[in-house]
This record gives sequence, C-alpha cells and structure tokens, in this order.
Amino acid sequence: MKPILEVKNLKMYYNTRSGYVKAADDVSFVLNEGEAMGLVGESGCGKTTTSMAIMRLLAENAEIISGHIYFKGKDLLKLSEEEMNKVRWAGISMIFQAAMNSLNPVYRVGDQIIEAIVTHEPNVTFEEARERVASLYKLVGLDPKRMDNYPHEYSGGMKQRAVIAMSLSCNPDIIIADEPTTALDVIVQDMILKEMSRIQKKLNMSMIYISHDIAVIAEVAEKIGIMYAGKLVELSDSVTIFKKPAHPYTVGLMSSFPSIKGEKKELVTIPGEPPNLLNAPDSCRFAPRCPFATKECWEKEPPYEEIEPNHFLACFHPQNLRKQVSEYARG
Amino acid sequence: MPEVEMVDATDVVLKVENLKKFFPVRKGVFSRVRSFLHAVDDVSFEIKRGEVLALVGESGCGKTTTGKTLVRLHSPTDGKITFLNRDVTHLRSAVDRKWFHGKSQMIFQDPFESLNPRKTIFDIVSEPMNIQSEGSLKYREEKTMEILKRVGISPPNAFLWRYPHELSGGQRQRVAIARALVMNPEFVVADEPTSMLDVSIRTQVMKLMMNLISDMHMSFLYITHDLAVARYMSDYISVMYLGKMVEYGETEEVIQNPLHPYTKALISAVPVPDPEFKRKSIQIKGGIGKAIDPLPRCRFYDRCPFAMDVCAKEEPSLVDVDDGHKVACFLYDKKEE
Ligand SMILES: Nc1ncnc2c1ncn2[C@@H]1O[C@H](COP(=O)(O)OP(=O)(O)OP(=O)(O)O)[C@@H](O)[C@H]1O
Ligand SMILES: Nc1ncnc2c1ncn2[C@@H]1O[C@H](COP(=O)(O)OP(=O)(O)OP(=O)(O)O)[C@@H](O)[C@H]1O
Ligand code: SF4
Ligand code: SF4
Ligand SMILES: [Mg+2]
Ligand SMILES: [Mg+2]
Repeated sequence: MKPILEVKNLKMYYNTRSGYVKAADDVSFVLNEGEAMGLVGESGCGKTTTSMAIMRLLAENAEIISGHIYFKGKDLLKLSEEEMNKVRWAGISMIFQAAMNSLNPVYRVGDQIIEAIVTHEPNVTFEEARERVASLYKLVGLDPKRMDNYPHEYSGGMKQRAVIAMSLSCNPDIIIADEPTTALDVIVQDMILKEMSRIQKKLNMSMIYISHDIAVIAEVAEKIGIMYAGKLVELSDSVTIFKKPAHPYTVGLMSSFPSIKGEKKELVTIPGEPPNLLNAPDSCRFAPRCPFATKECWEKEPPYEEIEPNHFLACFHPQNLRKQVSEYARG
Repeated sequence: MPEVEMVDATDVVLKVENLKKFFPVRKGVFSRVRSFLHAVDDVSFEIKRGEVLALVGESGCGKTTTGKTLVRLHSPTDGKITFLNRDVTHLRSAVDRKWFHGKSQMIFQDPFESLNPRKTIFDIVSEPMNIQSEGSLKYREEKTMEILKRVGISPPNAFLWRYPHELSGGQRQRVAIARALVMNPEFVVADEPTSMLDVSIRTQVMKLMMNLISDMHMSFLYITHDLAVARYMSDYISVMYLGKMVEYGETEEVIQNPLHPYTKALISAVPVPDPEFKRKSIQIKGGIGKAIDPLPRCRFYDRCPFAMDVCAKEEPSLVDVDDGHKVACFLYDKKEE
C-alpha cells in the first residue's frame, strides 16, 4: 500500500480572547491510496478542524502551530496559496458538513457544479463541463435532466447526491466527507453510502469519512481513527477498533452504542462530559472520565505510539475490552 | 373534579381510537379547492401503565404530530382519545384541561429551543407546579431540587438560579426531563429526546429515562427515527408511514421478524456497528412524499416491491396476524385471497 496523505504531528489551534482552543493537537495518521478511513468522535472533538487543516481552509483565528501534511510527498503547509488552489478539488476535495443546505438557492444545481469545474480548470469549456456534470449525475444516481432544476426542487437525498457529484467534479485523489449523511433518513443514507463506497472503489479513490456515528463508519471504513478532545487517541483497522480496542474511551464508545443486530447487550455509559478545549491541560484529556486513570495520567500526556503493527494508541494503560467494560459497569 | 381513579398495574392508561389529524393546504396561491395533508390518518393503539411504545418512521411520517395531538398541543381532526378511562378528545372545560395537563407531558427534541432562555432552571422546572398551583414555594423548591437530583443535575442548588445557556446540551435535556416529570405524570411523550445529544451523553440520558420509567411506572410514547435506540428503549414498536400505522408489535418481535415490506426495508437499512457484519439491504425505489388528499390505496404502493392489484384499489387495515403482532398489508390479509 502506498501512502497518499501523511498527517504528521499536526497542531491547529484557535486563538480566542480567552486563550487557545486546542482543537487539533498533535494529530498524526497515514491515508493510503484507495483506502477508506473513518474519523470518529463526539461533537467538538476536532474532526472538522482536522479536515479544514488538510484543505488549508483556515478560520480567521485558526493557527497552524506545527506539523506537516504530506500529499503525494509534498508538504501542503509549505505551498503558496496559488499552489494550494491547484490541490483543492483536483487533488483533495471535500464534502462539507451540512453541504446540501449550502447549495445556492438561486442557481440551478447543475450550473453550480459547472461553475466549480470551470473555476478550477480554466481550459475546460462550458459544454465540456456540462457533459462532465451529466456523467457525474449518472455516476451518483441522479437523472441528468435534473441538472436544470433549482435546489428546492430536490429532495434531501438528491441534494446530497449533487454535493457528492460536485466533490467528484475535478477527479480528486482524495475526498473528505464530513458527516455526509447525518441529516438524511436511514433508507436514503443507506443508498448514498452504498453509492459512495461503490464510486470510491470504482475510481480507486481514497476517502476520509467523518462521523459521530460508529455504525456508519463500521460499514464504510477499513481503518478508523478515534478522536477525543482534539487528540487522535486510537487508530487501527476497523476490526481491531471494534473487536479489541485498547483506549478506554474507544471501549466506552463501542459498548455505549445500541445495535439493531445481535444480542441486546447492556449499554455502557461513559460518565461525565467531554472537556472544554480552551487551554486544555498537558495531561490525558480523558482522565476525568476514565475508570483507569492513575496519577501518571493526570501529570503528563500519554504519547501516541504504535503498540502493535498498524495499531496506534495514546494511553498509559491499554487493557482488554472485556475487563474494561466490566470496570465501566462498576464505575 | 375527577373522581379517584381505580387503576391497577395492567390497566390501559391511554387508548387511541381512529385518531386523525389533517392540516389544510393550498395547492396553488389562487386555488380555492381545499386540500388536506393527512399527517395522522386513522391511528389506533393503547399504552398500558409502565409501558413504553416507540413510534418510529422516516421524517414527515407523522410521529411528532401524533405525539402533539396526544398531549393536546394539537386538537384532533377526528377519533377518540381515552386517558385513565376518561374521554379527553375535546377537553372542553378548564377543569378537564388542567387535570389532563397535570398528568401528561411532552419532552422535545431540541434542548436548546425547548427551554425558555430568560428563565432560571428553577422557574423552568417548577413551572408545571405553578400552573397547577401545587404546594407552597418551599414545597416547590424542594420538589425541584429532588427531581433535579433524580435526573443527575447535582448538586441541584448550584444549578437552580442558572440560565439554560449556562448548561451543556446533555444538562439541558436533563432539565427538560426534570420539568416533564416534576408532577409525576402518568403519560409522557418524548420526541427524539436524545437525537441532538452526543453519543456518550445520549447513552446517559437513555439510561436515565429507562430508570425513571421503571421507577415511576409511567407510560411513555418514545418517538425516534433510530430503530436501534427504539430497540433499547421500548416494549412495543409502532411503525408509521405517511400518516398510517403500518406495523405494531412487541419490540424484539418487530425487529427480528418484521412483516410489512416497509418495515423490512427500514430495518435492513440500519447500519450495524460491526465491521464484520455483512448487511444486506432491501432496496426500495423512490422517496417519501406527502399524504395530500391521498387516494384510497396502500400508501406504500408506489415503492412496494410486492405491490398487487388490490393494493391500488383499497387501503389495507391494521390486523392482528400473530398474537398481537399487527400489520397493515394485503400480503397478510387472508380474506383477500
Ligand atoms: N473559529 C473557531 N474559534 C474558536 N473555536 C473554534 C472555532 N472553530 C471551532 N472551534 C472549536 O474547536 C473545537 C473543534 O471543533 P470542530 O468543528 O473541529 O469539531 P467537530 O469534531 O467537527 O464537531 P462536530 O461533530 O460538532 O461537527 C470545538 O471545541 C469548537 O468549539
Ligand atoms: N402545523 C403544521 N401545519 C401543516 N403541516 C404540518 C404541520 N405540522 C406537521 N405538518 C406536516 O405533517 C407531516 C407530518 O409531520 P411530523 O412533524 O409529524 O413528522 P415527523 O414524523 O415528526 O417527522 P420528523 O422525523 O422529521 O420529525 C409532514 O408532512 C409535515 O410537513
Ligand atoms: S492515559 Fe490514563 S486517563 Fe488517559 S485513557 Fe489511558 S488510562 Fe485513562
Ligand atoms: S398492501 Fe400491497 S403495496 Fe402495500 S405494503 Fe402490502 S403488498 Fe405492498
Ligand atoms: Mg464537524
Ligand atoms: Mg418529528
């Protein structure tokens, strides 16, 4: 497997009046060619921040403190804005969180995608772009006749398909999909996710799926990163993450999720609430909620290390799943 | 005032018969023809004491409208609602209304919208007692502290004088639950109470509600679009499709052995949190529409992979096909063969 994207020790903080919000703090991972990776975590843990850093679409108060983002070997953080513009959409494109609501209501949907193409590829004529959009419509399961409709004439599922078509419009190597199906009903979600997986495999693209829903991620991703409070705390192939997670937060997350299949297991609750990331301390950020916290966890940050091949973890006390669940139940 | 109710543990708390709620819609700006959106159309069920009925289905199928009609935030277009053996369909007198609203409550989806931002937590939680003019101020304060503690807001006195914006999402939803439960209601409608919450907080709130329901022996209508959540929260499940109840049964029975083609498709589309599980979904065409002046036919007809001629001519009614497992579909209606 060949790496296509390497994020190394990325720190991106938001500078606010009250101090730094450490929203992506020392995040490292590798995405390989043709691979589908999932990024999971609760609201505010830094999923969108991490992907915005990769796209270098920074909020005004965002600061990249340190780190590297290698795309095909080049460090994106060192590119000029003009060079970065060539990477955006054609190299890495993004389906933004709630993107389907951001389609401009006064323009025809097809024209908005054509616009995206001709902006990034000035050599492409309007006719060529229109043809490309028609074939993208077919690819995502939309009738090309609908190109001339306005967003309000589309259902939620159709809008999401159009947004996916837009993300594919400049043949990217990587698509980052930020909560691509969160607002959709389950039957539509199922269709869209199937479609995305099919296209990803067909075009041998790399994908990063971002979601708070581990069931969705279980189905689409081969590799999963778990984020907690600005930190990537565990990363491995999806079976390892689900079947033998080592981080106490991952364990809690896995056993707190209701499933419609299999035996009806008792749900585990993770006590407490996610921390405020403002001026986050240099200790394990999960310590206040962790049944295994020791003095060490309160004093320093656990390093992010490869504990077995392709299994990365930031925790001083990795333990096995069963033991941890019963700890939770007691706690 | 109402007489003392003599109800034992197996009693039916809420009985709903042929409930309808239609909304008038105009087809065009100048159109004089009145059309109706059949948001809830001929729905019947019962909830016994201590029982949780989950109402599931896709967006727009009529879950919230059903819930709001039951607690009388909407008045029904037709049908009959019986609550603790009293007809509450119309609630004509102020005394009846006060009695009913003291015993039934609703919890809403969005804890950011449902709590008045200008009121303190004490005002919010004690309001139902004020409306019912229950007890002295001291009594209300004690009751408020007690219920806040029950829902995990502790120490309660640290929160009494705070405002909703000073609380996290999970805390706000706990406050909304406290407000709904402070009067010991007999019947509660919870409309997607955890869908805005984070995963770890969601499980906390689900467990809290499960404990409260069994401790306080309430009857619950739990509205959710998430079938996995419904599986954990409910004793019975009712599936709605475009205003119709298409299936009803014991939760595990409906999940393991769905009968209606729509329920089958719905359940098969739920993602499973297990990367090794190979899920096969039943593909159905099209999307969900709106039941505006619907034809007398099965509302799932256009999308159903098993549609037959009869389905286009008549509406299937909900029939008991197996020991309380009910379905509205001609595939199971033996009379039609
Ligand atoms: N411009 C900003 N200034 C200050 N803080 C910010 C800014 N943008 C985001 N944050 C904070 O950074 C943290 C991470 O936010 P981010 O949007 O990356 O989270 P997320 O994991 O995508 O959450 P969600 O699941 O809710 O989309 C949050 O605590 C958020 O409040
Ligand atoms: N006050 C109203 N006036 C007119 N139409 C309404 C009103 N309230 C709801 N509707 C319509 O009635 C139908 C049922 O809506 P309802 O909100 O009950 O659905 P729901 O199942 O709760 O959906 P969701 O899962 O999106 O909350 C929808 O078509 C909706 O647009
Ligand atoms: S480092 Fe310590 S506190 Fe943090 S997750 Fe591991 S055991 Fe828990
Ligand atoms: S009644 Fe007919 S159309 Fe309706 S669900 Fe059953 S088979 Fe399908
Ligand atoms: Mg986000
Ligand atoms: Mg609703």
